[in-house]
Amino acid sequence: MSRPPDLVQGTLDLLLLKILALEPLNGHAIGQRLQQVSGEVLRVSDGSLYPALHKLEQEGWLVATWKVTEKNRRAKYYALSRAGRTRLVKETESWTRLSAAITQVVQLTRA
Amino acid sequence: MFDRAIHVLRLRWRSLVRHREVEGELADEIAYHLAEEADLRAARGAAPGQARHAALRAFGGVDRAKEDCREARGTILVESVAKDLRYGARSLLRQPAYAVPAVLTLALGIGATTAVFALVDGILVSRLPYPSPERLVTANVVYPGGGLDAARHALSTMDVAAYADGHVFTLAGDGQAVRVSGAKVSAELFAVLGVAPAIGRAFHAGEDQAPRDGVVLLSDALWRSRYGGDRDVIGRSIVVDGRSREVVGVLPASVDLPSRRTQLWVPLSLDPAATVPYWAGDFMPIVARLRPGVTAARAQAELRLFQRDVRRLFPWTMPDEWNRDPVVVPLQTALVGGVASRLALLSAAVLVVLIITCANVANLSLSRAATREREIGIRTAIGGTPRRVARQLLTEHVLLAGVGAACGFALAWPLLALLIRTLPPETPRLGAVALDWRALVFSAVLALLTGAAFGLAPVAHTLRLQLRAVLDSGGRSGSGGATGRVRRLLAVSQIAGAALLVISAGLLVRSLWALARVDPGFRTSGLVAARLTVDDVHCGEAARCLAFYRTLEDRLRAVPGVRDAALVNVLPLTGGLTKRSIELEGYVVPVGKSAPLVRLTIATPDYGRVAGLQVLAGRGFADRDRAGEGVVQVSAATARRFWPGRPAVGQHLRFVGETRWRRVIGVVGDVRAHTLTLDEPDWIDGTVYMPHAIDAVLEDGRPPAEMIAVLETTQAAAAVDGHLQRLARESSGLVVDDVRGLDSVLAAATAAPAATTSVLVATALLALTLGSLGVYAVLSFLVSRRTHEFGIRVALGALPRDVRWLVVREGAVLCAAGLGAGVIGALGLTRWLATELHGVSPFDPLTYLAVVATMTLVTLLACLVPTRRAMRIDPLIVLRDA
Repeated sequence: MSRPPDLVQGTLDLLLLKILALEPLNGHAIGQRLQQVSGEVLRVSDGSLYPALHKLEQEGWLVATWKVTEKNRRAKYYALSRAGRTRLVKETESWTRLSAAITQVVQLTRA
Repeated sequence: MFDRAIHVLRLRWRSLVRHREVEGELADEIAYHLAEEADLRAARGAAPGQARHAALRAFGGVDRAKEDCREARGTILVESVAKDLRYGARSLLRQPAYAVPAVLTLALGIGATTAVFALVDGILVSRLPYPSPERLVTANVVYPGGGLDAARHALSTMDVAAYADGHVFTLAGDGQAVRVSGAKVSAELFAVLGVAPAIGRAFHAGEDQAPRDGVVLLSDALWRSRYGGDRDVIGRSIVVDGRSREVVGVLPASVDLPSRRTQLWVPLSLDPAATVPYWAGDFMPIVARLRPGVTAARAQAELRLFQRDVRRLFPWTMPDEWNRDPVVVPLQTALVGGVASRLALLSAAVLVVLIITCANVANLSLSRAATREREIGIRTAIGGTPRRVARQLLTEHVLLAGVGAACGFALAWPLLALLIRTLPPETPRLGAVALDWRALVFSAVLALLTGAAFGLAPVAHTLRLQLRAVLDSGGRSGSGGATGRVRRLLAVSQIAGAALLVISAGLLVRSLWALARVDPGFRTSGLVAARLTVDDVHCGEAARCLAFYRTLEDRLRAVPGVRDAALVNVLPLTGGLTKRSIELEGYVVPVGKSAPLVRLTIATPDYGRVAGLQVLAGRGFADRDRAGEGVVQVSAATARRFWPGRPAVGQHLRFVGETRWRRVIGVVGDVRAHTLTLDEPDWIDGTVYMPHAIDAVLEDGRPPAEMIAVLETTQAAAAVDGHLQRLARESSGLVVDDVRGLDSVLAAATAAPAATTSVLVATALLALTLGSLGVYAVLSFLVSRRTHEFGIRVALGALPRDVRWLVVREGAVLCAAGLGAGVIGALGLTRWLATELHGVSPFDPLTYLAVVATMTLVTLLACLVPTRRAMRIDPLIVLRDA
């Protein structure tokens, strides 16, 4: 599976879960939101967004429904499942731990 | 968590089953994205055409993204299994020394089991090829035509039909006359079975009453071979036993009642006015279809009442034993009754082989698991969970079993063909035997079960392993421990299973040996028999028939290579029998019994000499006995039975229905006429010989139109056949067939037990081979495991013979334990063999001793190689490597 090179594996999953925890969105809107919140730091090509979403859906963290948008187009909306919420909590915890540890290590080296 | 699992499963299911729909949604989703993105860019000021291009560029490769989505879709579960399988296949391919013997062993075990399954399934389980076969029944009763007519009218619980098997008809007209097996049946038989002819019609009701019986039905095989499959055969007249009959139909190939050999069916010819044939002709078994709502128990109750009434209809008193206690059984059970026990024996034998197979492969796997301890230790150390590792191992074993089963299924074809060829052709329902999807499912299930069975031990071993510090031990864990115990137990069970089978096979071989050495009471070497049938023109009248045969006798003697010739009406051991009721001088029939029923053997005076019958008292027949005073001979058993303590020679007897008393001039040694173990069936009271003379007639008062020529010759049967066919072509009205050596008649009598025996011997040899391989594998493994220990022992002064003793003792203990268990098992189980054994007890000490001795030798031979390896251990190398 092609992944954006500058994203740590698993990070994209965490970001997607986090974004969708706020409200259900369609794929395009998720891409927009990702750019907004990360302030262009995290570059994800639109194309590689979908495999990641599909994988999360297949694993049961996301639930998808088809809705008609205000422009009268059919779009697939993703929302967090109950299992997805627990997953997000766990992922966030481990991310916090990991990043804290890495930060420490990096500072240690500098010191 | 649970709802997530369901959700995930539903998604997988959907992407598997609704593939097209899911693909469509993917395309829609991406199309929506591109449209939305293009709108966005257009709103920011891009030209409409360029906005779309920019959106596509920003997206990257659409197809690539789709492919990635597909991969994310259903493959997560499948992929991990596939990965396990790939890994398993690679690791099996890397170790052909393990995989090849394992697959071969499994193929043999699963192949043999599948072949026997197909046989059992076809013969015992698959339903009869008739509609509602569960309503078809039969009973242990036989009725003559009069009894059948009475049953048809009296029974309200079932529709009854009857058939008389064992007839051979001469089929003339349309070229060379031939003899074909056929049956006389009641008109309703096919209606009762629910069979419609492939073409034409079945018999109409009433067509089994004389004189309306001039019709015939052909088998599919006869129709194709003799009439070229021509549909116009319907309505044609053919000549059956000299009588013209109209062909009314051809039956489908699936009809095999009374037997697979039946080529044509003619209706019975019932005539109440002809008292003797009507009440004493063929005693026929019945087939019946239970009427709706009737149970077999009710039908049986009615049949018992009917049996009581029907006795009174007979013009004479019937013996008490006739149809005593009728029992109604399903037709299917009755048809296969004789072979069911043999099939059970066969199934038990292959089951033992299968267990040995599993034990063998489990042992191989354990050896391999042991050599993989390091690999597995490393995998565990770098984070493989026990569950994951166990799953990997189990996948590997099921994969191995799957490959083994595939090879086994391929092997089952030739094995089944061999089995079918080995079984006697009269085995019921052989036609229904095939390797079909049921057999395929069976072997697949076997693969899963065996894979799990022999995979369990190594997996358990591995799981336990993780509790230990494998890496510390340097990959050596000595000979002891739980694994060693499991391995020894496996080896012991293999030997035990093999011993059980070899003992059973040994008993059957002893029995067959005894059977083959039974003295049949007549000569079988240097004799060729041929069936002669003379048509009604030449044999309709007694004097003419006799004259025809007298000339034939002389011409037979003139056949090149024939030294002597005799004629007899029925050859022993061929299933035929001519019966007559007799009265005996000085013998009073007990109350409730009917007149004694004897086998009547009509023979030319030379028969006794040619067939080598023993004259125990009096004299043999001479040429002058063909005329003048009526004389007979009786068998030794007959003389003992009716004139105990008195000389039989000089006594008189008379056939029921005749006035002339005949003098007994000789007593002949008993002949195994019925089977090799039974001189006569239990309903026959004796054997009477009479010369082939003008008054030598059958029960119906006609001279025997069919005689068997017994020729003394040095030529083979085929050569004699050639001469005889030439003779038949030269004389009108004569058909010669069934030409065979008397030794092959004798061999045919042992065919069924020989088939059972050879199949069981084959499985026993297979079991023995696998079992000794098992011992070899265990000992080799133990030696390799204890190399270090042995090295130290040698370094400390142990002599090679001490090391040898260590290994041999291990082998001897395994062997003794296995043989002990096997012998105990055999003592408990071989009683089921008793029905198959003749002249040998199921506890025959000689067989047991011989088997134990042989198997000890074989298992100790299996110790040889590992022992020598152990003795060659060089302490220097061992200690340096440590």
